[in-house]
Amino acid sequence: MNHWPRRWLSTRGLLYGGAALLVLQAAFPFFWMISTSFKPPVEVFAQPPSFIPDDPTWDNFHRLFTATGFLTYFWNSVIVSGLSVLLTMIVSAAGAYSLTRYRYIGREKIAGLILCTYMFAPIMVVIPFFILVKKVGIENTHFALVLAFTSFCLPFTLWLMRAFFATIPMELEEAALVDGAGRVRALIYVVLPLALPGIIATSIFTFILAWNDYIFTRILITSDELKTLPVGVQDLFHSSLIDWGLIMAAGMMITIPALLFFLSVQRYLIRGWGAGGVKG
Amino acid sequence: MVQAKSREQMVGLLAIAPALFLILALTLYPVAYSIWLSLLEKHSFFPQERFVGLENFFYLWKDEEFWTSLWLGTVYSTWTILFQIILGVAAALILNESFVGRGVVRAIVLFPYMIPTIVAVILWKWLLNDTYGVVNYWMVALGIVRDPVSWLGTDHIMLSVIAMSIWQFFPFVLLTILARLQTIPPELYEAAKVDGASAVRRFIHVTLPQIRGILFVVILLRSIWMFTKFDTVWLMGEGAGAGRFIRTLPVYAYMRTLTYYQAGLGAALAVIMFAILIVCTVIYFRMFREEADIG
Repeated sequence: MNHWPRRWLSTRGLLYGGAALLVLQAAFPFFWMISTSFKPPVEVFAQPPSFIPDDPTWDNFHRLFTATGFLTYFWNSVIVSGLSVLLTMIVSAAGAYSLTRYRYIGREKIAGLILCTYMFAPIMVVIPFFILVKKVGIENTHFALVLAFTSFCLPFTLWLMRAFFATIPMELEEAALVDGAGRVRALIYVVLPLALPGIIATSIFTFILAWNDYIFTRILITSDELKTLPVGVQDLFHSSLIDWGLIMAAGMMITIPALLFFLSVQRYLIRGWGAGGVKG
Repeated sequence: MVQAKSREQMVGLLAIAPALFLILALTLYPVAYSIWLSLLEKHSFFPQERFVGLENFFYLWKDEEFWTSLWLGTVYSTWTILFQIILGVAAALILNESFVGRGVVRAIVLFPYMIPTIVAVILWKWLLNDTYGVVNYWMVALGIVRDPVSWLGTDHIMLSVIAMSIWQFFPFVLLTILARLQTIPPELYEAAKVDGASAVRRFIHVTLPQIRGILFVVILLRSIWMFTKFDTVWLMGEGAGAGRFIRTLPVYAYMRTLTYYQAGLGAALAVIMFAILIVCTVIYFRMFREEADIG
């Protein structure tokens, strides 16, 4: 009997030790990014490095906003990600509604086909995509980017939305129809509110994918004023002698929106995850 | 009545049409087009093209760089997949236990997977910087190495990109396995405990059979994604001068298309990648037929 507290302690100890390690490996790099972004240039290169900046300054952020194209990139990212989310939501909500509410020949085949395209990695699609986009004449436009992100997210968002729509009982909609509501009204007032968690989860996935994307933007966009954040910041990184304080400030400013969206949707995440996960 | 029914069908098809169009026109058509492209000699920017049959593939067969990139890609994906799975499962087991602050820990641990790759890369390039990096500082201070290590130099860059990729992607495994662990009925563990099974035996006999199906899917997805991983590897190799030592197959395909402007060869590489993936997936399904049924 007197053995158990010790054993309990050791397994508990292992558990907390493991959890602490997990937090440390995930959080330390971010902590270091934040710390560096507030250091003046001299302190960035100080040896030994200081963990908390001795002389914290907003200078890096100030230069980022005034001396680089950061705000333009930021705005482009917002526009492109926002439009991608909007388009993806409309197209996949309509598609998922169709896949769960209507019967037609080949419905299951369509669903299977959609899942199959989920396996295509960006690198396999982007080369021919680039050449086709040039042929159509929409290279170097945000429109091409929005199309790329939408079609790339669609397999996943459709699949997830289908799972959500399938859980909404048909009877609810039928009741609304009996009460004299049209199909569209029934959709707006009955189905969509119930599918809201699914809609939110998929829109966040689309947003994060569009926000984080590097390869499509790198290939499809050539003018500086149309670049989104990841490509813009990479060019900043390579432009001259690396200004680490500035780069870390930029890194922080890209990360914050992605993390905010992630944290706001975290509770839907595990649910959505079971239905398909995120690409990458 | 028949008319009403066919009208219903029309509405249904109309609603799925935009999605179907986008997937067909912007994913399946490009993939089919890249097969055609792999048979052409074509500059990436100019419209001239010439049909050359399988010449691109013959060229690659004799191309030393192709075989190197295939090998480097295999090394990269093998190690990253292996450690992602081990760490992901171990971390999921920890986070499935109840302890104070579990919710916060779960959220924090997913951070690396959610951030843009470019941020992960600049972050790690800064941590691993040979002169001012905090990793080198610690390793020297703790006496692990005598002199700072050039982590992004030719000798260690593969190790660095593997470590960084594991860091970035194991949260995916963690989250997927965790979602499955939460659905295992606790009675199974109670019964095993009553039988006096140790923690290791409980893992082998209770947990493992339960997560086998999802593990099958996770390994498949991660393998596909790591084998075709472009941005992490490309961005890590860029500018360091040692990029050649982590030039995996996707990076090589990209370079053929956008550095040498040989779109035909780039497409041929993409087709080879695709073929390898299909063959491996089929073998994988054959080998683990049982798991495939559960998953």
